Amino acid sequence: MVTKEDIFKAISTVKDPEVGFNLVEMGLIYDAEYNPETKHVQVTMTLSTKACPLHQMILQWVEEAVLRELPEVESVDITLVWEPAWNISMADENVKKALGGGA
Amino acid sequence: MAVSTDFAPPFKLIAPYFIIGVIDLLLAVMLLFQIDITAITQTDATTIAWVHLFLLGFVMMVIFGAMAQLVPVVLEVGHFAVDLYYIIYPLLFVGSFMMSYGFLFAPGVLPYGGVVVLISLLVFIFETFLTINKVKKFNTVMTSVVIANIFLFLGLLFGITMALGFAGEITVNLQWLLRAHVYLVLFGYVGITIMGISMVLLPMFWLSHSFSWKPVKTALWLLSVGVLFVMFSAIIEKELLAYAGYILSLLSLVFYIYQIYIIYKTRVRIENDIYKRALVFSYVSFVIALLLGAVGFLAGNERIFIAAGFLTLLGFVSFLIVGHLYKIVPFLVWYQRFSDLVGKQKVPMLADMVPARSAIYGYAFNTTGVILGTVGILLGSNAVFQAGVSFLFIGSIFVVKDIFYMINFKG
Repeated sequence: MVTKEDIFKAISTVKDPEVGFNLVEMGLIYDAEYNPETKHVQVTMTLSTKACPLHQMILQWVEEAVLRELPEVESVDITLVWEPAWNISMADENVKKALGGGA
Repeated sequence: MAVSTDFAPPFKLIAPYFIIGVIDLLLAVMLLFQIDITAITQTDATTIAWVHLFLLGFVMMVIFGAMAQLVPVVLEVGHFAVDLYYIIYPLLFVGSFMMSYGFLFAPGVLPYGGVVVLISLLVFIFETFLTINKVKKFNTVMTSVVIANIFLFLGLLFGITMALGFAGEITVNLQWLLRAHVYLVLFGYVGITIMGISMVLLPMFWLSHSFSWKPVKTALWLLSVGVLFVMFSAIIEKELLAYAGYILSLLSLVFYIYQIYIIYKTRVRIENDIYKRALVFSYVSFVIALLLGAVGFLAGNERIFIAAGFLTLLGFVSFLIVGHLYKIVPFLVWYQRFSDLVGKQKVPMLADMVPARSAIYGYAFNTTGVILGTVGILLGSNAVFQAGVSFLFIGSIFVVKDIFYMINFKG
């Protein structure tokens, strides 16, 4: 059985090349759910900016990471949301500390 | 905003804009060695040649290259015909060089250079407007792109009219036309483009969030009306209308700087990298240049006014552009060379692609050069000015070297 934690761990292999942190510790992944009957994963996430030029690539990397890290998963859907808008308080403490803001 | 990388043009199309742009920056700095600061005026041939090489060869070249990449991001549609960008940069490079050469040594070359530049800019405007035509719903940044390009087109019309006047084909008041031409291109196009693109790039690179956009929206409208006032003042030859335009422009810039301050204060990323250093120096230079410009204007002192212009172009505009190149070029190279390898092998981070130490050396030389150059103009001292230009020359070599380093980065 694939858990939410498993999915988050799989997505944490994807790094934002600009800031150097993975998407999970950045707080960009809002939710993830696995349907054992359809073997389908549904990810709800956001991006740090609407103008992100890597928009589509990041979604593709997330999909590839889930399929690569979790062999039992057969398909992935990603819902990109802008509400709630991302802010630094959603990131892990190590990210806040490293970036230096949001304290 | 549904941004797509599907619309991204190939890097081989954009790279020449940045390479030629920084080489033109180096050439423009070398041309500064020819300027006699004790006799400088706003309208002598060397000054005009320098302004055209700097603005067309460096500023416009880099802006156009950035626009090839950013227009799809900002407008959320693909280019109408992105391949047209393959002919814009050679024409702009040759035309700007011919114009500068014409101003300096051979006036006969000037109209030919002007026509080549004209064709290049018209192709750019034509492509941009046809791309804009695909947009269904406009936001503020998109509107700024539209307004900026309308002003660029009007600036070109004034430039052509001036050229016809120079050639004796028509009788016009060249002083008024020059004012409108400079204002439309410098404030109308470059100014509004910088404001609009700042709204996208600064919050993106600094991860700034939860702030109001009202100051920059106000700034955009004030500057647009200000530019229109100055343009119409040139048509009806009314000084009062021009002054109203200047005041609106000044107000606009105050709002814009306030917006930048807000973005800066709400930023999450506070690392002291080359981007942050360049942008802080850029905006501080701009504030000082505005104060100098106001003093020069009120005192009727052309030297102070020229110092303000020097600080605006080489302090504000140049550092703003170069600072962004240290962000944009690594991104484009990374996207082209490494993005497909994500998840398959270890890829570099964008920061790994920036030659940090070399960038800081360049920054140190360039900041020293701008400060000495400005002081040299204010003092009317060729020795101090040329010392500043020497620093700028070495700083520009570092910039050129760094751009090549980032473009050739292979991990």
